[in-house]
This record gives sequence, C-alpha cells and structure tokens, in this order.
Amino acid sequence: MRRFTILLLGCCLAATTAFSGGYQVSLHGMRNIGMGLIGTSLAYDASSLFYNPGASAFVSSKFSFSGGVSLLMARTTFQPSNVMNQYHIEKIINTPLYFYAAYKPLKDLSIGVALNTPYGNKISWGDTWQGRFLIQDLAFKAITIQPTVSYKIKNIIGIGAGFVIATGNVELHKALPLEGQAVAEGKTTITGNATNFGFNAGILVTPLKGFNIGIDYRSRIDMKVKGGTATFDVPASLDPNFPDNKVDASLPLPANLDFGISYEIKEKFLIGLNLCYVFWEAYDSLIFTFETKTATLDRTASPTLYENRLIARLGAQYRINDIVTVRLGGYYDPSPAKDDYLNPQTPSSNQIGLTAGLSVFPFKGFSIDAAFLYVMGFEREGTYSPDNFAGTYKTAVYIPGIGLTYNF
Amino acid sequence: MKKLLYILISLVILAGCEPKISELTPFRGSADFSRYIAVGNSITAGFTDGALYTTGQANSFPNLLAGQFRLAGGGNFIQPVVTSEFGVDFPGSDPRLILGYVTDCRGVTSLGPIPDIGPKEPLGPVGYLVNNLGIPGAKTFHLLVPGYALLNPYYARFATAPTNMLIQEIPLQNATFFSLCIGNNDLLMYAINGGAADSITPEPVFNLSLDAIVAACVGTGTKGVIANIPDITSIPFFTTVPYNGMVLPRQTLVDSVNAAMQLYGLPFTYVLGPNPFLVPDPASPHPLFKVRPMAAGELVLLTVPQDSIKCFGMGLISAITFLPWPIPDKYVLTQNEITAIQTATTAFNQKISDMAALNGLALVDMHTKMQGLQAGIIWDGIRMNTRYVTGGVFSLDGIHLNPRGNAVLANYFIESINAEFGSTIPYVDITKYPGVIFP
Repeated sequence: MRRFTILLLGCCLAATTAFSGGYQVSLHGMRNIGMGLIGTSLAYDASSLFYNPGASAFVSSKFSFSGGVSLLMARTTFQPSNVMNQYHIEKIINTPLYFYAAYKPLKDLSIGVALNTPYGNKISWGDTWQGRFLIQDLAFKAITIQPTVSYKIKNIIGIGAGFVIATGNVELHKALPLEGQAVAEGKTTITGNATNFGFNAGILVTPLKGFNIGIDYRSRIDMKVKGGTATFDVPASLDPNFPDNKVDASLPLPANLDFGISYEIKEKFLIGLNLCYVFWEAYDSLIFTFETKTATLDRTASPTLYENRLIARLGAQYRINDIVTVRLGGYYDPSPAKDDYLNPQTPSSNQIGLTAGLSVFPFKGFSIDAAFLYVMGFEREGTYSPDNFAGTYKTAVYIPGIGLTYNF
Repeated sequence: MKKLLYILISLVILAGCEPKISELTPFRGSADFSRYIAVGNSITAGFTDGALYTTGQANSFPNLLAGQFRLAGGGNFIQPVVTSEFGVDFPGSDPRLILGYVTDCRGVTSLGPIPDIGPKEPLGPVGYLVNNLGIPGAKTFHLLVPGYALLNPYYARFATAPTNMLIQEIPLQNATFFSLCIGNNDLLMYAINGGAADSITPEPVFNLSLDAIVAACVGTGTKGVIANIPDITSIPFFTTVPYNGMVLPRQTLVDSVNAAMQLYGLPFTYVLGPNPFLVPDPASPHPLFKVRPMAAGELVLLTVPQDSIKCFGMGLISAITFLPWPIPDKYVLTQNEITAIQTATTAFNQKISDMAALNGLALVDMHTKMQGLQAGIIWDGIRMNTRYVTGGVFSLDGIHLNPRGNAVLANYFIESINAEFGSTIPYVDITKYPGVIFP
C-alpha cells in the first residue's frame, strides 16, 4: 500500500512530462509492448507478420495466432501563452488492437495475415476552448490488413513481404468565427473515408544462434478522402457562402524503416535494440478542397511541415520459468513537429515511454500476455504560426493492454 | 507477481491524474492598478455601432483592461452604466445599428446596417463617481472647456458639476493608474464631414491641451498608458466605398456617357466596368461644370447616399437633369484633405510620444498597430483586418470597434503596459468576444 501512495504522488508532482509523437500508434503485440515496443529482430509468434515479415518464417510452430487490445488513456493539459486559463482534456479512450494468424505449410515457408491499427489520433478539446477555431474534436483511425508471405534459407536468412490494405475514416469538428443571432457561433463538421494500398517487406538474419538482425520497411500510404462530407452551421444570412459540401483531403501514413538487433542467452534472457526511422516529411500539410466553391469557401491548407525522426527503443525479456516471462523496456520518440508548427490537432512533444510486460503460460504454446506502457512527454511550448495560436502542452498517456498468443 | 499487479493497478488509477503545467502568475510590476481611471473619447467610453449601449459599453476596452488588472491587484472599475441596448436618448442621438437586410433602389436585397429602434436610456446624471471618463465626441481641447457637460450629453451623465472641466474630474478618483486615448476626434470630426465642415485642431491647441490633460492625469506621479492616433483614413468608414465605384455594365451605356461628356466639353473618358466618381472641383477651368473624376487614393465616405449613386446617377450624370452630378464634397476626402489629416496625425503623434517619454508612460503605438491590422492579423485562428463587416473588428458604424476589436485593443494596451512597467498582466481571450453579429 505504501508503494501505491508513493507512485501516486510521483505522478502528480512530476514537473517535466508530456506526450505524443505524430499520429502513429506503435501498439502491435502485447509481448513487444512489454519490452519497449521492439520487434524487428524477434521471431516468437505471428506478430512478426507486422514487425518484420522476414522473421515470421523463423517462428518454429506450424500455427501461430496472436491477438490483443490496448486501452489508451491520455490526458492533456494546455496553458495558453498569455491568457489566464488552463484547459484539460478529460480523458481520451482509444482501443488500438491487433490480430495475427500465421501458418507454415512448409518448414521454411510461412503465410499469414495481419490486422492492425497502426495509425490513429483522437482528441477532444470541446466547443468552448480558446483554440476551437483550429480544432474542437478530431477522430482519425486507420485499420490495415496485410496478407504476408515469408521464406527462410538455411535458418540463416529470412525474407518476407506483405501487401497492405489500409482503410480509415476521419471526423473533424471546428468552430468558425462567425457570430449570429440564432446561431451563436458557426461550426463545421467534416467526415470522410479512404482506402489505399502499400507494402511491408523485411529481412531477418541470424549469423549466430540467438543473435538476430532485422530490417523492415513499411511503405507510405496516402489516405485520400474523395467526396467526404462537409456540413456548416452558420448564421442564416451566411448560408449561401457555406453550402453543405463534398470535400477532398489527403492524409499520408508515413513510411517506416526499422532496424533491430537482439541477443538471446540460453532461451532465458533476451535483450534487444530497435532503431525506427519514420518518414514524417510525408505530412507536409493538410489540405481540404471543397467541391462547391464560394467566395468564402475554396481550399483550406494547414501546413504541418513535419520532419523525419529516429526513434530508439530498448527492451529485455526474462523467462523466470516455463510459466512466467517478464519484460521491461523503454524508448525515446522525438516529436516530428517544429516549435512554430505545434498544432493542437496533434499536440506533439518529445516523449519517453516506459514499459513493463508479463506472459503467463498455462500450458505449452499458449500465453496470456499483459503489458503496460506509460508515456511521458516533455512539457512543450509552441505556436501554430499559421493560426497564431500559442501555448504550452503536456500530455501523459497510460496504456494497459492484454493479449493472447497460441503457437502449436 | 503480486507486486507487479500492484504496480499495474496503481498505474491505471494514475491515469486519472492530470498533467500539471504551471499557471500564469500575473504580477503588477512597478505599476499599481488598484484604482484605475480611463480618460478619452468614444473609444474609451465603449461607443460602438453608432451608439453607447449596454453590451457595447460592457465591452469597452478600459472595462476589459480593468478585468485583467484585477488579476494583478486591480480594483473596481465603474462605468456610467447605460441600461438600454438602444443607446442614450437626447435630441439628435443616432440609433444603434445592427446588421440586417437592406433592399436598394434596384430592388436588390443585401446585408447592410439598419437602425435598431427601441427605448433608449433617458438622459440624466448617473449620480456616482465613475472610473471610465470617456466622452464620445470629445476632442482634446474639449476636456479643458468649463461647462462642456452642457454641450455634450454623454459628459453630462457623469460630470459631478455641470461647470466642471473634465480635467477637474480626473483628480476626484485619486487614481493610481490611468489610460489616455485622446486626439482621434481632433481629426475625425473634420474627416467624417468630408473636410467640408468642422476643422482639424491646430497643432498648438492640441499640444497645450495634451499638456494640461497629461498633467491632470499624472498629478504627483501617477503611472499610466497613452495611445497615439492611427491613420483614421484607413478605417472602414473611409475605405468601404471605392473611388472608382461607378460601374458601367454595358458598352452602349459607356458610349452614351462618353458622348454626353464630349457634349458638355468635359475631357473625361469612361470605360466598361469601374470608373471614378465625379467630385466637385472649384479649380476646374470649365465655365459651368466644376467637376473632376476622383483620383486613386481619394476616399468616399460610408455615409454617401448609395441609392443616389445606383439609381439617380450621382457621381456621374443625373438621371433627372442629365447634367454632370458630382458626389457632394461632404462625402469625399480629397487628396489635399487626406494629406492635411496625415500631416496633423504625424505632428500629434510626435507630441504624444514626447509626453509618454517625458512622463514615463507606456505608449500604445496605434498608428503602427492599425497598419498591421490593415494588412491583416490572425490570433487564435481568427483572421481580422480593417474591412467593413467582414474584417471582424470594426462595428457597423465603420469607425468604432466591435467587442472583438476592443479585446484586441485591450491586448495592445496590455502589451505596452507590460513592456513599460515590467508587469505580467495576462491577455484577454479574444475568442470570448464576438465580431459583427449576422442575422
């Protein structure tokens, strides 16, 4: 009980923490989450289909299934630069999930399918806050399905590739600075769907027993919304200027190049390092093009000018006995947003993640996997200069998750 | 195992814990905001949409400033409260304007300012001491006129004695801080009459008046803030109607106008589309028609009778007499008049800067701020400029600010005050204040 209290105090007094790094969600396997989200050089179960298709041929069992869900709870505090007020986003609940199924028809060949939610963003500032003309609420979620083939040569090198089908939807609300008698303040809602394709390819090399090197590349996928819906609620006299509308937009899901290295000692202790290069430059600006144009409604472009970033991840796993395996890890994820383009749509800051995980094997091949990820970012002051909106953001994220793995 | 479970459970509960950021800490610096008074004209009074009414007054920039001062030791700020949303009642008082639908002489309906008629505030002294000493219509030297309350009903509402000069009211509050925003009307009254009536205050009069007003405000060392005068010709009252607003939509019309001009011996050529309005020109060599086309840069006032232009040929050729019909001088600022205004503005602002430096006052450079606003500014995602209605900061009279404009103005004052006195007064959240209200 004493530990409990100390931890509680620790959180509330911590002065320098915050969250978020773009809109990539890296929760793809409960075991991986437990050890700092590493995975590129691992070949334990079907989660390799996502982390590195080159590794899945190394999974020893004929069948491997893995699935799980995380509960993402984030809290954000915002302090405007010059205004005496603070805003708290109460709680955002998101449930990123994954499911993998792999089958080995041959000793060296694996086929499988992966389902994930690798990208998403959900934020809800409400309709009275100071930044409501930039964003009130935003929900964006993409699901990917990836049929995959993997082949290994002489237990030394494995190659694999998957075809990625991404489908997603977005819903966005923001206020418009148009005041009226009946409509106190204007607002707009934009919704849309998009589907597009990409690929995921990787190589795993094991020069020594227990020593793995993996490289994986997941391509950029442009989520192009065609004919999304835009509705406007404005004072009646302005209705002709803001007709309900079709809207086109495009949000890129950035490419990732991951490099991983790991070493396992006597199938008991494993340590691994991942370097993930995220090609965030793909996200240059968010553009909405309206089909029915008026003098006041044409094309809106919000520059984002994201920059490429390298994420460093470190993780370890220790097999206590045949029943219990524990994991620990951590990572550093630098924000892709510049200080003068820090947007409340994605209040991004450099973040540190600390993870812990546990697997319990009631019987051989089957495990219940649990993980906890605590993301603490750094308090960050910035301005979204295109809209001259300045302030300090701080977010903390708590992500417990549970999954099942069955290899047989 | 049990330990681990403990950690997990406690972490989940921690999700209820808010990330902490240190709050702003308002600090008064070397200034003392405990008793604040505002001295000035209609802008200080909270005049907007052509009237002084309840919500406009509540959003006066000094009232917004006082609200921010309270975060750093400021006290009560009492205004001579108007309880009517339709303005103050006195002979010749204008109605409050709202945005409504206006049908012009051609039967075209569009959005435009319309009077909002209702029971106005009866005239009479409020009977209490006020902190907001802003007097709509006051020029600099008016504050030194004994009995000015007999001439200006707005001053009569709060003058403690009808014979008092305004500067005699200033010491009564024993203020610790003041704002002074005066001088605009020394130019504006001339300008809104198209230079045809009233006059620009002579520089020596302005200088002597400002000396006396600042002396009254400063007293034995009261700190304060003073604003200079923007280029008043950049406000929507003067910039909304273009100098070349005479649009000829058909070639046949262009040909007949050109033929008529030739007939009258006027060497003006008209083209399809926009053409300059005709204005009076006493210096014209023409024996009969003392007119000329307006030059680019000259200004037509917002109050110009639009229907006369649209349907009866004002600014071109009268539809009734078929003779050249210039826009009357009182609706036009010519280049000479504009130059006179701008020359005086420069001189007045020099005096204001000198007074600020001499007395250690914070200076709000409204002249520069207005240039910025003309180019367009953006705060918290709200784009604003000096355009009429759509610009979002000027009220429907085209001269005074709407609530959002007043919030921006209050922030300009805070910016200067903080810089001068080392204070950290927080800004007004401008998103809480509406712009023009649309039907």
